[in-house]
Amino acid sequence: MTWLFFQAVVSGLLLGGVYGLVASGLSLIFGVLRIINFAHGAVMMLAMYTSYWLFVLLGVDPYLSILVTAPLFFALGVVIQRVIIEPNRAAAEHNQLLLTLGVALFLENLALVLWQGDFRTLRVSYSGASFMVGDVLVEVPRLIAAGGAVLVGLGLWGFLRTTDVGKAIRALSEEPEGARLVGIDVARIRGVAFGIGSACVAVAGALITPFFYVAPDVGESFNIMAFVVVVLGGMGNFLGALAGGFIVGLAESLGAAFLPGSLKQLVVFGLFVIVLLFRPEGLFGVRRGR
Amino acid sequence: MAARLLGALAVVGLVGLPPLLPKYALEVLITILFFGYLGACWNILGGYGGQFSFGHAAFFGIGAYTSTLLLLHWGLSPWLGMVAGGGLACAFGLLAGYLSFRYGLRGPYFSLVTLAFAEMLRVVAVNWKAVGSSLGLVVPSRGSAPGMFVFAEKLPYYYVILTMALGAAWVTRAIERSRMGYALAAVRENEDAAEAAGVDALSTKLAAMAVSSFLTALGGTFYAQYFAYIDPSLTFGPAISIGGLLPAIVGGAGTVAGPLLGSFVLTPISELTRAVLRGRGGADIMLYGLVLILVISFLPNGLVGWLRSRRAPPGGAA
Amino acid sequence: MSNPPRRRDTHALGRRRFLTSIGAAGAMAALGAPSIGRAQAREVKVGYLLPVTGPLAFEAQLALNGLQLAVDEINGAGGVKSLGGARIVLLPGDTQNKVELGNSEAARLIDQGAVALIGPFSSLVAFSVRQVTEKNKTPFLLLATVADNVLEGGLHYTFRMQPNARAMATLTLGNMSEMAKNSGLAVKRVAIMHEDGNFGTTMGNYVEAFAAKMSYEVVQRVPYNLRSPDFTAELSKVKAARPDLLVISGYYGDSKLIAETAAKLRIGVNALVGLANAAYSNPKFIAENRELTDLLFDGNYWHNPQSARARAVFEAYQKKYNSIMSNHGVQGYQVMFVLRDSLERAGSTDREKVRDAIAKTNLTDHILTQDAIRFDDTGENVNATPALLQVQGGKPVVVGPARFQEAKPVFPVPKWKG
Repeated sequence: MTWLFFQAVVSGLLLGGVYGLVASGLSLIFGVLRIINFAHGAVMMLAMYTSYWLFVLLGVDPYLSILVTAPLFFALGVVIQRVIIEPNRAAAEHNQLLLTLGVALFLENLALVLWQGDFRTLRVSYSGASFMVGDVLVEVPRLIAAGGAVLVGLGLWGFLRTTDVGKAIRALSEEPEGARLVGIDVARIRGVAFGIGSACVAVAGALITPFFYVAPDVGESFNIMAFVVVVLGGMGNFLGALAGGFIVGLAESLGAAFLPGSLKQLVVFGLFVIVLLFRPEGLFGVRRGR
Repeated sequence: MAARLLGALAVVGLVGLPPLLPKYALEVLITILFFGYLGACWNILGGYGGQFSFGHAAFFGIGAYTSTLLLLHWGLSPWLGMVAGGGLACAFGLLAGYLSFRYGLRGPYFSLVTLAFAEMLRVVAVNWKAVGSSLGLVVPSRGSAPGMFVFAEKLPYYYVILTMALGAAWVTRAIERSRMGYALAAVRENEDAAEAAGVDALSTKLAAMAVSSFLTALGGTFYAQYFAYIDPSLTFGPAISIGGLLPAIVGGAGTVAGPLLGSFVLTPISELTRAVLRGRGGADIMLYGLVLILVISFLPNGLVGWLRSRRAPPGGAA
Repeated sequence: MSNPPRRRDTHALGRRRFLTSIGAAGAMAALGAPSIGRAQAREVKVGYLLPVTGPLAFEAQLALNGLQLAVDEINGAGGVKSLGGARIVLLPGDTQNKVELGNSEAARLIDQGAVALIGPFSSLVAFSVRQVTEKNKTPFLLLATVADNVLEGGLHYTFRMQPNARAMATLTLGNMSEMAKNSGLAVKRVAIMHEDGNFGTTMGNYVEAFAAKMSYEVVQRVPYNLRSPDFTAELSKVKAARPDLLVISGYYGDSKLIAETAAKLRIGVNALVGLANAAYSNPKFIAENRELTDLLFDGNYWHNPQSARARAVFEAYQKKYNSIMSNHGVQGYQVMFVLRDSLERAGSTDREKVRDAIAKTNLTDHILTQDAIRFDDTGENVNATPALLQVQGGKPVVVGPARFQEAKPVFPVPKWKG
């Protein structure tokens, strides 16, 4: 039983790292733009397809594909924000939500039309690599994914803290009026934030292709998880999202190991609802006016 | 007024034409009215109340399962089971609504929590043997038993859903013109200001939730009787939640005709797209996404809003 | 303020809006209108409902290939003799694996004059199609649809040729037990992992229900969400229960992930057995995962390797489609011949008569692993038998039941034993 517990903890943490990266992108977008981006998972899916095709057609290792996909999907994110979301900035909140829903529907089915629905997998030499720590299995691609996710996440956090653009993003996120008043080009920053969020999710996608299949609906489960993590970690709280990812990954994995049936999903959603109701600023967030 | 005349003509057409239509066209019409109905139910809370629920499938599923379980275990006619399902969904809606509103969830937070509630109900249903778990429930549908909501032909089902859709529109109109409607509008436009002006926002929103959830559940029973099979993914899934709100938004949230009009536009788009682009599965939903983006961007009050603004003379009362 | 022009605009707009809906309805009516003016005596229209686009597109195409092969063979040999040599014409229906499309496509095909419908893979879609076929009194031949309760409710027009879930589960476990006994081992502790939908849950229920009868114990039953990106926790739960056999009922992506993780965890069972698994005897899966799939078992519907006719059909398929015929292709091929046989006996394209002829089917000239094809009152094929397959040398071979066996099984499988 203790072995089972430790295995569940390890697997949960490894997957949680990826959830964290996906969620921190979503959290950043929410912090700056105040919208819940329903298209987040769809962007991740497209990035995964891009990594896949780069591998199949040009033999590019999925981790290396990040050099291509991160800037590419940063650009896509900026475009989506400037072309579709920015013009509707004054619209009601729920309308902006629906915009991202429309983008999600469009992108997911675009993938279906272009590449059909079959599962695609890419195999690299290290896809099957794993080692045991005692009785606990650690799969190398998952370890790399979690580690990479944390590195990228921390790197981004550093970027937000130290660079001008990063500071502008934080300013806009914490004090929109003030940011405008001190002369920050808020429209540009909004685009950049959405771009960074999309780049995050593209990196996360590339990191999981060595062990997870690619299909048009692959972003859906990560989308839901990202919402849960962001709420848990505090909307707009970047580090909170990274930490929240681990918490959700753990909860899910422990739920799978010790609860009957497929009730692990109930644990995750239950956590979600409870946090939303009783601590909407998240476990790490600061209570602020909604 | 021209709109009233057209509306009347449409109703006459909807009543008189179907017996003459081939089966496929009838199926499509039923689909249109079904989603139009769901949209109208959602609209009461979403369009009029301004509370955008992304989890209306929760009420739909409760309705479908309640009437079906009552039928299978106690032989209760689905016509009665429908009401029971509505009541149960209403109770759940009030509970969920109270929790959400009382704890100050608004806007996207409210949308997310409703999404979570629907998903949780789905997971519960999947893992609960007594309600059939993933095997679902088969609804007896042989022969003809109108008293048990079973018809031998498709046509009677059509008239049922037509009645429901028109009924939902009628309820919407009644609410719109009532005190509740004014209170809802005030809450929707600016909840804090409404509160300051003396409107009890909580009970107003709960009232809308009650009506919306009750009516949505009736749609669940219709679905169960029409398709004669329900399971957790079909009834609690996002297809129902999204399928209901899409026509309402496109047609015009917060209007009586919006959801039905939206459905009359969206469903044929989907059917025609699939007919024209055979072998390109997903193209129709792609188009839905595009339509949604375009409508939100250029017709934020939906088709009804757009049509109204075309009619209104500049600077004068219409 | 000039009001009259505006009112005209209103009329025009309103009329346009109204006409657009009518026009759309009219277009739809045209799409669904029965084709007139065709020489119906010389043609028999058969509609198929398959998820030609969407997540099951690959498998659907394999089934369609089988259907087409059969149609070509029948037409090439002179068509349906009792109908004056009428040719069979396939009417396409794409369900995209969606329930509402199953409904509307079925209606459309019936409008177009289909004598019978074949399909639709997914059990959920089958539920919505069977409503349409029952109410429209049209025979419906299930293809690759395994859920038991699809035939529940006293249906009159629906028939299933392949083994249903009960047959799949019980006969596969029976075959495994038999095989284990022949290897000097026993199947005593069974663990089952299944996707938590209708398909998987049904399989799980049967494995549990037959435990007592077949004297094994279900030491762990794990339903899972098929979209999950990680099954390590679930498989650890299984490993902790120390089973000697792990049964998996899942779809493509999840079954792959499970097999991979089970191997890495050194799950410690004698064998990994798919139960009507979408991946383990799927040619694409095997081709892409040679090492992983080696020696995997799967209980699934299959062709009879001992049948000369089956071998001939395989060659014909290979020649026409340049690939190995899969079990979906076998299903497609055979179900068309069941229909042809019924049409011959019915001597008519009247749907009632065709339905009655199907009900009286007693077909021995077929390529399946079973005795004669016969349907009972509920529409199930009474003799339907799944084959027990094992992947050997990169392809699935029949290792059971004994009379259809084409190779000896390798049991236990060392790599799973850990």
